[in-house]
Amino acid sequence: MKFELTEEQNLIRDMVRSFAETELAPSTQSRDEEEHFDRELMFDKLAELGLTGIIFPEEYDGAGADYISYAIALEELSRVCASTGVTLAAHLSLAANPIYLFGTEEQKQKYLIPLALGEKMGAFGLTEPSAGSDAGSTKMSAVRDGDEWILNGTKIFISNGGEAEVYVVFARTDKEAEKHHGISGFIVEKDTPGFSFGNKEKKMGIRSSPTRELVFENCRIPAENILGNEGQGFKIAMETLDGGRIAVASQAVGIAQGALDEAVKYAKERKQFDTCITRFQGVQFQLADMATQINAARFLVYNAAYRASAGLSYSLESAMAKLMASETAMKVTTQAVQILGGYGYTREFPVERMMRDAKITEIYMGTSEIQRVVIGSTLIK
Amino acid sequence: MKTLLIAEYRDGKLLGSYQELMGFADQLGAECAMFIVGTSEELPDYSGKLYLADVEKYAEYSPAVHKKLILEVVKNEQPDMIVFSHSSYGWDLAPRIAYSLQTAQISEVVDVKGGELVVPVCNSKMRRTIRVKSEQCVVTLQAGAFNPPDDGTGTPQPVNIDTDAQGRISFLGYEEVEPGGVDLGKAEIIVSAGRGIGKPENVEIVADLAQKLGGEYGASRPVVDSEWVDHNRQVGTTGQTVSPKLYVACGISGAIQHLAGMKKSEFVVAINTDRDAPIGEVADVLVVADLKEFIPVLTEKL
Amino acid sequence: MKILVCIKQVPDMESKFKIDGNGTWYDTNDLAWRMNEYDEYGVEQAVQLKEQMGDSDLTVLCIGSAQVKETMKKALAMGCDRGAHIEDDAADSHDPFEIGSIIAEYARDKEFDVIFTGMQSQDRGSGQVGILVAEMLDIPGVSTVVDFSYDDGTINVKRELEGGIKALVKLNTPALFTCQLGINTPRYPTLPNIMKAKRKELLTIPSSDLLKVACVQETSAIFFPEKKGGGLVLEGDSGDVADQLIEILKDKTAVLA
Repeated sequence: MKFELTEEQNLIRDMVRSFAETELAPSTQSRDEEEHFDRELMFDKLAELGLTGIIFPEEYDGAGADYISYAIALEELSRVCASTGVTLAAHLSLAANPIYLFGTEEQKQKYLIPLALGEKMGAFGLTEPSAGSDAGSTKMSAVRDGDEWILNGTKIFISNGGEAEVYVVFARTDKEAEKHHGISGFIVEKDTPGFSFGNKEKKMGIRSSPTRELVFENCRIPAENILGNEGQGFKIAMETLDGGRIAVASQAVGIAQGALDEAVKYAKERKQFDTCITRFQGVQFQLADMATQINAARFLVYNAAYRASAGLSYSLESAMAKLMASETAMKVTTQAVQILGGYGYTREFPVERMMRDAKITEIYMGTSEIQRVVIGSTLIK
Repeated sequence: MKTLLIAEYRDGKLLGSYQELMGFADQLGAECAMFIVGTSEELPDYSGKLYLADVEKYAEYSPAVHKKLILEVVKNEQPDMIVFSHSSYGWDLAPRIAYSLQTAQISEVVDVKGGELVVPVCNSKMRRTIRVKSEQCVVTLQAGAFNPPDDGTGTPQPVNIDTDAQGRISFLGYEEVEPGGVDLGKAEIIVSAGRGIGKPENVEIVADLAQKLGGEYGASRPVVDSEWVDHNRQVGTTGQTVSPKLYVACGISGAIQHLAGMKKSEFVVAINTDRDAPIGEVADVLVVADLKEFIPVLTEKL
Repeated sequence: MKILVCIKQVPDMESKFKIDGNGTWYDTNDLAWRMNEYDEYGVEQAVQLKEQMGDSDLTVLCIGSAQVKETMKKALAMGCDRGAHIEDDAADSHDPFEIGSIIAEYARDKEFDVIFTGMQSQDRGSGQVGILVAEMLDIPGVSTVVDFSYDDGTINVKRELEGGIKALVKLNTPALFTCQLGINTPRYPTLPNIMKAKRKELLTIPSSDLLKVACVQETSAIFFPEKKGGGLVLEGDSGDVADQLIEILKDKTAVLA
């Protein structure tokens, strides 16, 4: 067992950090304030750096890097801008990855390559008004009509919704089948007649990442756009979410690290004014706990990422990583606001944004409760 | 000890930096001779021996030719030390002379301490003293590190010097900076922004303070290179050299190039979170604070 | 075209420096290391020239312990084709004359058309090595370059002078250039290039094979500068400090009535 990043992983961290600090940081605050998604900055530039296809093999125009590299990249982006982190996570883990894992060669040529190159952006539609993490309750329907599928239904809270060109969505293809078995995955292109978007959600955090409703009204797509086999949708969705959890966990570690860095910076500046040693020691202890929890979460992420790259099972590990990292992010960002006191509560300082951004990591890609269900049920299986 | 001082002529003008070379030689108690590729129309204010090569003939930048001319003088004079300014002319030519003579070159000397020369290390965060192992040596002096001598006036005795050396580099002329609207050189109060301002929006905080004080705002090079502030407001060696009555450095760490452009200011206030930043060395008052918090409070109270 | 770019690994200048046990250099433990900023401009310019030329071969050279290979990997990921690591655990103790000689000795029989270096290192800051290498190889060298263009064997550059003016200079290959801030914006090494970098040749050569001269200078002591006396340090509550500062300005300067 080796607890050391490779030279490539270190280079990737340096590169993404320097990109995030130089290019993203100057506008993170204003994009949050204005709820502005800057595609050129938050996606096209990631594509130029080769981040949009980081884990896919070179034959599909990916960079051929491993999951740990991907986790590092997401952490570094999210450390500065969690909205950019989720843009990449939704695109790569949720749209490109299921096509890579379950798509036909034709689908990979047609969709995965432009996604990996970042010529197109991806999004993932699973959640419905009455089916959140319970994918088995999917109501959206897909009915076969000759060479086409006809989609009807809505998907909500879709990251990159309205901006992405390629959507991986799930619909019920067999109403008779047992709950989990009648669902199938589909690839839908933006601008398909019958496919439209709701208004942008007004959110608490990750405000420069667009979230929209997807609306399908007699939307006809070619029969070959089914992803995997008919009825395989639930499995595809679950495997996709396993990978997505590594991504969200990485994002959470990044948010937490960003908050810790701000708190440390503030404490250093304050140190010299602060005559009250006990108060400073209190702060030091808090910082120590924050750093320790972040590192624990990070290693859980690396562990899950390592298993994913090594082809080992990782649903349990990714659920643990996601649970630990998201709760750490929430805790650490809240403490960072507390350490900065009144300043921390103002929008002049980034920690309040980080606290708002952290909250979503406990909710999407399966709430903390769902992660506990996943972990607990594995234990008593 | 004998020194050969290399004066500079640029863009049709004699540069005043030769006086600092003389001050340095004085401080060492050394004899000196001087060399310049210049013109008899404009000679340094100096009463010793001056080797003069015609700039019309040898161009302002032609390193191989200037090297040959200097080596010729070195052969005549046998100086212990050949002294340049640490300038675009000096640092370009000095290593060539040092290599030809197989001697040490000591770059960017800021001081003389116990007979040894002192140079900066790590952006001036540290200093080192150097022991020379060759008989002669070449040195370049940091701009502003040595003061002109008190009694340096006179008229030199020019000795013309020639060479038939040819260079492989053609000097085509100069590109002047487009004249800007702001002449910081005339401002009595300057408030400058450095890398520490963090983001372009914070230029406003600095500009507001400048306005409240009735002065101009300036910037250090990193801020100008990031295009947060226009080049014509840049203070430092590659920008403007200023000498206001009050200079307020906000979030400027104090790179040598910046210090060289502002250290003649009468009164310097630095606002910086890092109390060890080199700017503290030239500051009359160092305010240890985050400029984003402190400056608005100061501006409000003025 | 054969291109060489010489880089150095230096500490992050924001580091808290300490003095080493001998008192002749900074303590190299616990520092974050990166590519010398000026050398990054050199690498970018070399890669741009390589891209312009198409058929060309770009070598990056770095002198130092095994640790410098990480910085070399970055240069390879930015687009250099191969690396020459001149292994030397005591690189800090070599003076510019020795460093220049090592590079010149390496480059001597390789017929590089263009060589780039940074204009100086951020730590030692001598600004000599590039020009020394040019002299040692007997090729023209131009320092402080802020603009570079190559056309069919002829190179036009601008040198940055003081006061904002630039000198326009023309010369032919082979030639050496030392790069100054402003010449370009170094690219980020892209993911695919980072992954490809590990497959590129990185040859290690002991410096003893190339170092054939003795040093001409050595550091007798390194130390922190004394703080200028009289400088007043103010800290504490912003409002109080602002009041104190205003009083001082009224008292000591003529600008605040």
